[in-house]
Amino acid sequence: MANLLVLGAGKLALGDMLFVLISFIILTLLVKKFAWGPVTKIMDDRSKKITGDLDYADQERAKAEKLANEREQALQKSRAEAVDIVNKAKENGETQKKGIVDSANDQAEKVRQKAQEDAAKAKEDAMKDAQNDIASISLQIASTVIGKELKADDQSALIDSYIKELTLDNEAK
Amino acid sequence: MDDKYRFIDFLGMRFNVANCLSTIIAAILVFILVFSLSRKLQLKPGKAQNLLEWMIDFTNGIVKSNVSDRPSNNFGLYGFVLFLFIFMSNQLGLIFQINVGGYAYLKSPTANPIVTMGLALMSILLAHYYGVKKFGFGGYLSNFTRPLPLLLPFNLIEEFTNYLTLSLRLYGNIFAGEVLLMLIAKVATSFGLVSFAFAIPVEMIWQGFSVFIGAIQAYVFTTLSMVYVSRKLERE
Repeated sequence: MANLLVLGAGKLALGDMLFVLISFIILTLLVKKFAWGPVTKIMDDRSKKITGDLDYADQERAKAEKLANEREQALQKSRAEAVDIVNKAKENGETQKKGIVDSANDQAEKVRQKAQEDAAKAKEDAMKDAQNDIASISLQIASTVIGKELKADDQSALIDSYIKELTLDNEAK
Repeated sequence: MDDKYRFIDFLGMRFNVANCLSTIIAAILVFILVFSLSRKLQLKPGKAQNLLEWMIDFTNGIVKSNVSDRPSNNFGLYGFVLFLFIFMSNQLGLIFQINVGGYAYLKSPTANPIVTMGLALMSILLAHYYGVKKFGFGGYLSNFTRPLPLLLPFNLIEEFTNYLTLSLRLYGNIFAGEVLLMLIAKVATSFGLVSFAFAIPVEMIWQGFSVFIGAIQAYVFTTLSMVYVSRKLERE
């Protein structure tokens, strides 16, 4: 083996060196074309994709947080609104109730007053009628007294007839 | 180890048939390995693609930890192919040793100093080429006088020692491994069944260790190549 390296011991196999160089260069080119190029491209793509995905995920998370906050706020707002609405409805109901009761009271009062007025009027009318009757009766009585001698019998007959007339009058009424 | 070799003289140069055959077979094996692992590439890698990407990441790690000042993509490819080729060459002789009629035809190509010198020459030339490319020829020459002009001879000698150590380290490790494999095989056949039974476990242990040595030497060769390249790319 050693004599391979000693120049005097024969021709140095320099062709081997050249052969190794050439075959190595060809191997490198082939590997580059068939494996290194595609694989490094894929690896670059992957690292790009991973960075992109991470950025995208960050963005999406920020968006989601924003949305969640907005929803939370909207929810609280709508809750407050609901409470407002209920309160308002209660108030409305209260006022309406009061109004209805008041108006009912008013009407009842009115009806009662009218009834009282009617009754008073009827009484007054009755009194008036009675006065008129009494007047006419006293006129009659007076006329009959003037027309007849007043006797006890006559008087009792007169009183009876008078009472009869009264009752008749009353019945007629 | 003490095999005879067939030689072919072609264009005034001498070719060692065993070296050329082993080199080309190692190269073909590397290509088959890498080619078969790089089929059906996807963003979500399968098993084969994972293995390939792991190897690429491994050699890229070697390259990036040494060559720092530029996007070292081309060096990445060089380191990857260099590592795989040397690793495959180292293991080739552990698995196949073909001798026909006393002539060796297939063995580890890296168990021959000429082949390792060829590989080392390639690395050193690459380092110098990129040194000239970066600093210009004047700057490249003036780098030999840094950090002190006094150190010029040491720097010049260092280039040769770098080259020799790079090539002969690999050659020595692999050649010694093969010599020992051969010796153990000779022990196995020397005293019949007893030595055969004794030699088999020893051979197995040494083969396993040689696989380890082959991987380590491929790693060392790639790392040192990158160190030499990066040294030429920076100013002391």
